[in-house]
Amino acid sequence: MTFRWLAGKLAAALLTLVFVLIFNFFLFRVMGDPTTQLARLPRAAPEEIASLRHSYGLDKPLLGQFADYMGDTVTLDLGISQRTREPVWNEIAHALPWTLLLVGIGTVLSVLIGAWLGVIAATRRGTRSDSGLLGFSLFTYAAPEYWLGILLILVFAVAIPILPAGQQVTPGKEFDSWLAHAADVAEHLILPVATVTLMLLGQFFLIMRSSMVDVLTEDFITVKRATGLPWERVVRRHAVPNALLPLVTISAIQLGAVVGGLITIETIFSWPGLGELTYTAINDKDFPMLEGTFLVYSVGVIAANVLADCLYFGLDPRVQTA
Amino acid sequence: MRRLCALAVGAALAFALAAAPAGAQEGKKVFRIGWGQEPQTLNPFIDEDEEDFVVWSINWRLLADFSTKDLGPVPGIAQSWQVAPDKKTVTFKLFANQKWSDGQPITSADVKYSLETFAPNSLLFGSYVDAIASIDTPDPLTVVLHLKSPDARIVGGLFVYILPEHVWGKQSVKSLTGSYKPKMPLVGSGPYVVTQFQRGRIIRMERNPYYRGPKGRFDEVQLIKYGNADAVERALRLGEIDFDREVDPSAFARVGKQRNIKTIQAPSPSFTQLAFNLCNERNCPDAKFNPGVQDSVVRQAIAYAVDRNRINQIANRSTSFVGHGLLPQFYKSFYAKPADDYPYDVAKANQLLDAAGYARGGDGIRAKGDTKLSFDLAVRTESPFNIQAARLVAEMAKRIGVEFKVQIMSVDKLTEITTQKKRGKMAPDFDTFIWGWGGDPYDPSLLLNLLTTKAIGGSSDSFYSNPEYDRLYEEQASEFDPAKRKQLVSQMIAISQRDLPYLVLTVDPVLQAYRSDRLANVQRLCPAPNGDAICEQVTGAPFTTLSPPLAAAAAKDEGGGSPLVFVLIGIGVLIAAVLAFTLRRRRKSADEPVELEV
Repeated sequence: MTFRWLAGKLAAALLTLVFVLIFNFFLFRVMGDPTTQLARLPRAAPEEIASLRHSYGLDKPLLGQFADYMGDTVTLDLGISQRTREPVWNEIAHALPWTLLLVGIGTVLSVLIGAWLGVIAATRRGTRSDSGLLGFSLFTYAAPEYWLGILLILVFAVAIPILPAGQQVTPGKEFDSWLAHAADVAEHLILPVATVTLMLLGQFFLIMRSSMVDVLTEDFITVKRATGLPWERVVRRHAVPNALLPLVTISAIQLGAVVGGLITIETIFSWPGLGELTYTAINDKDFPMLEGTFLVYSVGVIAANVLADCLYFGLDPRVQTA
Repeated sequence: MRRLCALAVGAALAFALAAAPAGAQEGKKVFRIGWGQEPQTLNPFIDEDEEDFVVWSINWRLLADFSTKDLGPVPGIAQSWQVAPDKKTVTFKLFANQKWSDGQPITSADVKYSLETFAPNSLLFGSYVDAIASIDTPDPLTVVLHLKSPDARIVGGLFVYILPEHVWGKQSVKSLTGSYKPKMPLVGSGPYVVTQFQRGRIIRMERNPYYRGPKGRFDEVQLIKYGNADAVERALRLGEIDFDREVDPSAFARVGKQRNIKTIQAPSPSFTQLAFNLCNERNCPDAKFNPGVQDSVVRQAIAYAVDRNRINQIANRSTSFVGHGLLPQFYKSFYAKPADDYPYDVAKANQLLDAAGYARGGDGIRAKGDTKLSFDLAVRTESPFNIQAARLVAEMAKRIGVEFKVQIMSVDKLTEITTQKKRGKMAPDFDTFIWGWGGDPYDPSLLLNLLTTKAIGGSSDSFYSNPEYDRLYEEQASEFDPAKRKQLVSQMIAISQRDLPYLVLTVDPVLQAYRSDRLANVQRLCPAPNGDAICEQVTGAPFTTLSPPLAAAAAKDEGGGSPLVFVLIGIGVLIAAVLAFTLRRRRKSADEPVELEV
C-alpha cells in the first residue's frame, strides 16, 4: 500500500516536471531572439550575428531546438549560458547556496514566528492582541515583497543607517578570518531575511490561527481542561500538535510563492542568488540560463509537494487508510 | 539556564566583535564605481555589452588613442604615424621600451596579431579592418598598413584594442570565439588592469606598473555590481561607492540634490530619431508603407511641427540634448549645427502642406488624392522614453493635420518589420518608427553610413538612397585632412536634413554622479569641456588624474565601529530575554498537577 502510494505520487511528480519542461521551453521562446539587439549595433556584421545564432542553435527550426533541449536536459546537461559562457549548472551551483541561505532562514523564522503569533492570537480570540496581530499579518500578507524590502532599506539603511542596503558582503572588503567574513554576511543577511520573513509570515499566522481556533473548539480540548490540566499545557501539548498539520502542507506549497518573491527580493538587495540570476537572464534573453533556473525552481516546488504529501502520510493516519 | 543565557549573549558579542575589524584595506586608495549590469566574460572576441567596453578601454590602449580634449587621434601604442602620398599606406612607429602589465615588451607582432587575427574574428571589431589589405612589420617598432583604398578611419578610427599576442595567441581562434574566458590578470597596456572578476560581485583593477603615462592616484579601481540602478543610486548616497556611471534619467534630478553628490550630464555619440520608410521600388519592390511618408515636403512639415525641446523636457526629463541633424554634438571635430534645423514652427508646417496641396478632411486629417497623411508610428515596448516621445510626436502632428497611430511593439517585432526580406530584397513594413543609434568615439563614418545605399540590407533602416550622399560618404572616408573632411561631412548633413530620412529628436546623454567628498580632480572630458568624467568606453586616461581628496581619504579609512555590533548585541539580549522568560514559565509549570490520561 505504502509503496504503491509513493510510486503514484512520484509518477505524478515526474509527469508535472515533464509538462513544466515543455512549457518552459516554449514560454521563453516567446520573449524573442537574444541576438535581435545585435542588429542595432552597427559594428556587428550580419555574418557575425549569423555565426552567433548558429553557435546558440537558434538557426535551427523550433522543433529541432526543442529536441536538442529535451535531449540535453534528460542527460542533465543544461547547456552553456549565452551571456557568461559558463555551464548553466556552474552558475546555478554558485547561486543556489545564497538562495538557500536566504530562503532557509527566512522560511524557518516565518514558520516559527507565524505559528507562535497564530497560537497567541487564537488563544486570545476577540481581544485587542488578536485584532492587532490579525491586522499586522494581513498587512504583511497583502504588501508586495518589493515594497516591504524597499521600506526596510529606507528605514534601516538610509534613514537610520545601521544595516547595509544590499549585497551579500561588503564589496571589495578583504577578511582576516572566516569568522569576520561570516559576520559580514550575517550583517548583510538581516534585511533580506527580514523581508522574506515578513513576506511569508502573514500566511503562516493566518493558517495557524484558524487551525488553532478549530482545534480549541474540539471536544477533546474541553475534556482535557476538565481533567484539571492547566490551560497552557492543553494548548502546548494537545492543541498545537493537532493544529500544525495544515502548516506542513502550506509550508511546502508556499515554496512556489517564495520563488516568485525571491526574484524581486534578490534584485532589490543585490543578493547573488537564483532570483538575481533569473532577473539577469530575463533581461539578456539567456534561454539556457532561464530554462535551468526554472527547472531548479520547478524541481524544488514539486519535491517540496511530494515531501509534504509524505509528511502528511506519516502524520495523519486518515491519509494512510484512505 | 543562566549559563545558557550568558553563552548566547557572549556568542553574539564574539560574532559582533569579529565583524569589527575594518579589513585588510586600510591605507589603500580605492576608487569604487557602481553599476547595475556587468560585462559578459571580458573576452573581446565574443562580448558585445557596453560594460565590457568600459573595462576594455581602461585595460587596453589602441594603436592611436582618443584625445580626452576633442577625441582626435593621439599617441597610443603608436608614437607617430605617417600617411603615404597615395593614402594607401600608413606607417605607425611604436613607442620604444613599452611593456605589457606582465613586463613583456609591446611590439609590432602584437599589433599584427590584433589587426589580423583578433579583429576579423571578433563580433564587433571586424568592420574596422575591412580596408586593410596587408600588414608588414619590418621591425619590432614599425607597423605598415597597406590599404585596399584610402580610408581615414585608419588614423583616429581604428577602434581595435591591441592585445598581447603572447597571451591570446596561445589559444586557437575556435576556442577564443567559443566559450573561452580570459585568465586573470588580464594582461594589458592601460593605466589599470583587471586582476579579479567575481561574477555578480566585483571587478578589481590594479594599477599597471608598466603603464606609459602618469600613474593613477588610486591603488585600485573597483567596479561593483548591484541588482539594479536604484541599488546603485542608494549605494552612492550611502557612500558605499564613489561613482555611479549610469544614473537613471528619471532619478537624475533627485540624485543631484543629495548632499555631497554632484551630477554630470554629457552628450554621447548616440541619438534617438524618428525614422521614415523611404525604400524605393527598385530596392524594395514588396515594401509596405503609406506613400505620403515618401514626400519630402510632408517630412519637412512634420519636422517643423515637432517641438524637439518639449520632447526632451517631457519624455526625457530634460536629461537629453536636442538633436540637430545626424551627428550629435559629441563629434566635436565634425559637428556643425545644420542650416536646415527645423525650429518649432507650426505655421510654417501648415503653410508647407497647404502649398503642397494637402487639404484637411472632415476628420481634420490632411489628404491629397488617395494619400491620407495618417501614419503608423512603431515604438519599442522596452523604452518608456521612446513611447512617451512617440505620443508627443502624435499629439504635435495633429496640429498640422497629420495623424500618427502609435503602435507599441516588442523589439523583435520592430526589428522584424524593419529588416524583413521578400524575394531576396528588403521588404520593410512600416511608415515611421522611433529608435536610436550609437556611433564611434571620434570617427563619424559609422553614423553617416546609416544613410548610404550600400547600408541597405545591413544597418540602413530608413532605406534612404541618394547617389550624391553616397559619393560624399566615400570622399570623406578617404580624406585624412580633418578640416577638409569636416566640410564634406557638413555637405552630407545638409543633404540628410533636406531629405530627412531621419528626424533626429534628441541626443542621448551620459548621466553620471559622484561623491564630491570622496573624489577630487574631476574634469569634464571626452570631449572637453562638456564631456563625461571617466571618458567611458573611450579611454582610460582620466583614471590617471582622478584622485581622492586627502582629508576625505583619511576619514574614509577610519572605519569606525560596525553597526553589526549593536544589532547583534540587541539580538543576543533578545535571545537571553526569551530564554529567561521560558525558564520562568517552566519553573512555574513544574508546580502544576500531573496530567491524567483520559
